[in-house]
Amino acid sequence: MSGASEQLTPKTYQQCALALGTASERRRSVRIRGAGTKDYLGDVRPTDLILETTGLRGIVAHVPADLTVTVAAGTPLTEVRAALAQAGQFLPLDPPHGDTATIGGVVAANSTGFWRARYGGVRDQLIGTTTALADGTLARAGGRVVKNVAGYDVNKLLIGSLGTLGVIVECTFKILPLPKASAGLQASFAQGSAAFAAADAVARTPARAAALVVQSTARESWRLLVLAQGDPSAVERTLAIAADAVQEEGGTSERHDDIELGLGPLRDLPATTRGTVLRASLPIAAQNAFADVATRLAGFRHLVADAASGVVRVHVQSDESSEIAAADALRAAARVCGGSAYVERRPEAIRDSVSAWGDGDVPGLFLMKRLKEAFDPNGVLEPGRGVVR
Amino acid sequence: MLGTREDLIIYEYDGAVDTATPDAVVLPNDTNDVAKLARFCHEHRVPIVPRGAGTGLSGGAIPVEGGVVVAFARMARILEIDAANRRAVVQPGLINLHLSTAAAPHGLYFVPDPSSQKACTLGGNVAENSGGPHTLAYGVTTNHVTGLEIVLSDGSIVRLGGKAEDSEGYDLIGAFVGSEGTLGLVTEITVKLTPLPEDKRTILAAFPTMDQASASVSAIIAAGIVPQAIELMDQLATQAVEAAVSAGYPLDAGGILLLEVDGLREGLDHAAERIEAICREQGATTLRRAQTVMERERLWAGRKGAFAAMGRLAPAYYVQDGVIPRTRLPDVLRAIEEISVRHGLRVANVFHAGDGNLHPLVLFSDPSELPRVHEAGLEILTACVEAGGSITGEHGVGMEKNCYMPLQYSPDDLAAMRRVKTTFDPDGLANPGKIFPTPGRCREFQLHATR
Repeated sequence: MSGASEQLTPKTYQQCALALGTASERRRSVRIRGAGTKDYLGDVRPTDLILETTGLRGIVAHVPADLTVTVAAGTPLTEVRAALAQAGQFLPLDPPHGDTATIGGVVAANSTGFWRARYGGVRDQLIGTTTALADGTLARAGGRVVKNVAGYDVNKLLIGSLGTLGVIVECTFKILPLPKASAGLQASFAQGSAAFAAADAVARTPARAAALVVQSTARESWRLLVLAQGDPSAVERTLAIAADAVQEEGGTSERHDDIELGLGPLRDLPATTRGTVLRASLPIAAQNAFADVATRLAGFRHLVADAASGVVRVHVQSDESSEIAAADALRAAARVCGGSAYVERRPEAIRDSVSAWGDGDVPGLFLMKRLKEAFDPNGVLEPGRGVVR
Repeated sequence: MLGTREDLIIYEYDGAVDTATPDAVVLPNDTNDVAKLARFCHEHRVPIVPRGAGTGLSGGAIPVEGGVVVAFARMARILEIDAANRRAVVQPGLINLHLSTAAAPHGLYFVPDPSSQKACTLGGNVAENSGGPHTLAYGVTTNHVTGLEIVLSDGSIVRLGGKAEDSEGYDLIGAFVGSEGTLGLVTEITVKLTPLPEDKRTILAAFPTMDQASASVSAIIAAGIVPQAIELMDQLATQAVEAAVSAGYPLDAGGILLLEVDGLREGLDHAAERIEAICREQGATTLRRAQTVMERERLWAGRKGAFAAMGRLAPAYYVQDGVIPRTRLPDVLRAIEEISVRHGLRVANVFHAGDGNLHPLVLFSDPSELPRVHEAGLEILTACVEAGGSITGEHGVGMEKNCYMPLQYSPDDLAAMRRVKTTFDPDGLANPGKIFPTPGRCREFQLHATR
């Protein structure tokens, strides 16, 4: 598919903007790629050009005492993590594909993991962007200070926009000191309702666990993974709170100080190459009902919930018609629960039968269409990939 | 609807210094009233300007181009406290503090706590993306809104998001929060509620100089501690506060830090001790930790009442709201001092030091001094932008700073923002004359800039 496309790898922000301006003028469609870890996201169509952001690389500014870092968008997340760690700091984002993804890709795909429970997601960390637009200009939004209400928060529109509004070339984030201590706990339950109730009991306390993940591969077997970070004595207390909550709900728990080893594969569920993976964002209290629907589906393989944030991923793998039916059922269930869902990945064979975004009945869609047209009047940026098609 | 001269006059100002009289004021009862009104205004090409409690500090609620002011005093209900989902659904006229009071029995609260929280409304908080002292660790309004119902300037009603963390498609909620009424009117808000901290430690640290106080802020952060609040006050501000509320601040200090850590009980004493040790190393002459809730509230009463206390020093003040990178605090504070001396105007400083969000209060006695006061304010903002900062951290651009936007943003940056404006409000009827530079009012400023 990409073989026919011309490849561009701009080395400067200006080059990137010029390339987009030219493409738009000539009405040549553009696909935007960082490390290419999330090529499966959205309804990807072949394009005339592929613009690689990997030429825009490096840490532009890091002032440890300001707790901010500015990074060129094509920089791998691992490079940012290593640089910040040297100053005893970290960017509190733990997206899937964390070992290869670029910063720009993480932002453009609104890619979040489990740490959101304590630290928030991309929208809570990103404070400034520079973006190459289809008219060939570079536009900055926000800045390098942690608080800023001058003008519209265009940053928010770019998060999760999948390159459909422009190419993010630089990002500035709030960062934090590395936690003094980190420890975990793993619990087992016979019922999903008990696992979610235990997670919720922890989330309702001021403990601010760093991750509360509910996981299941079969209806009768559920796990809760808890990660606590911060002051050593607060970490111990958080694990004690979690252990009590587990016991209260009839589960058994065990301390796991290397809980990251368990969380890693769960975080990378979207990297599963076979079958269909759907991602739902739900009101917190609706997760159990949604999980009940998911685990009854023919072909159900795996459910992973960031139980503190209500983001639930479901993997199903079966014959084509069952996977199509499962995607429809889960999307409907998410709506009924007051949330929404999209298909992160599905096999090539059912790509035409299962669209990423569903029936297109998205609240505010007419505004999103106008926005897309305002930023990309010739419709050259990632055609078909986002909600607005 | 209000239309007499006497009725309208109380709607011609807000918390800032600019004024303009509305052509009419309407107090809607529900979303349909707002939509009907917007359709009427759209049909007759009349500007529509939302207003909460009028506590804004950038002229956001002032109908600078005339038109109808929509006052949300009658849409002030809490529609739902959904403790299971840790959300509340409220109407825009609800007073900020009332929400946290109502959520408290569930062990929950609404994080953003602007100093005006006893009066300001949630709709105003959404419009301005309000902050407050405790947003350093927990974020500002935009980090706590998951759903909005908005009425566009053509009268259409749009519901965005809900109780889930993410919504589908572009994050229009993220664009709307902080848009100062220029993208439409908010008629219903779904916000996150956060578990109340188990305990807090509140520390007052007094220093001989502002430099030592600022250096302590950087040293605390460098030590890997991020307190929930770090507030700084200079001597002039301290004197006013003491005269007004007797918060117990030492009057001889050059700079006073108010710090708070909260969360689980465990670890708080340790964090407080480390903060105190750092402050001592930096030369703190007084260190006091609140021992009771009463003592804590007294310490905070001083900070939250600081703006009001300025009346003790001068008949009027003009508050600025620049942001700088934390590490530039000492330089910029010196620049402010220099500006103050040069213009012969006293400037008191009370601000969110942890965020680098400055609030210099330029004191004056007579309206005839206003041009000089504005000049000093502009110089302060220029210093902030030159230090890599912003012209506003939480008060908004409004009609006070729209001419200054080019200090911070290039024409291309502003053009991108205009695309957002035309998406929501193609006819330009939603709170016109705000955020973007306007040719008429900003001509004088442009002349100044090119001089």
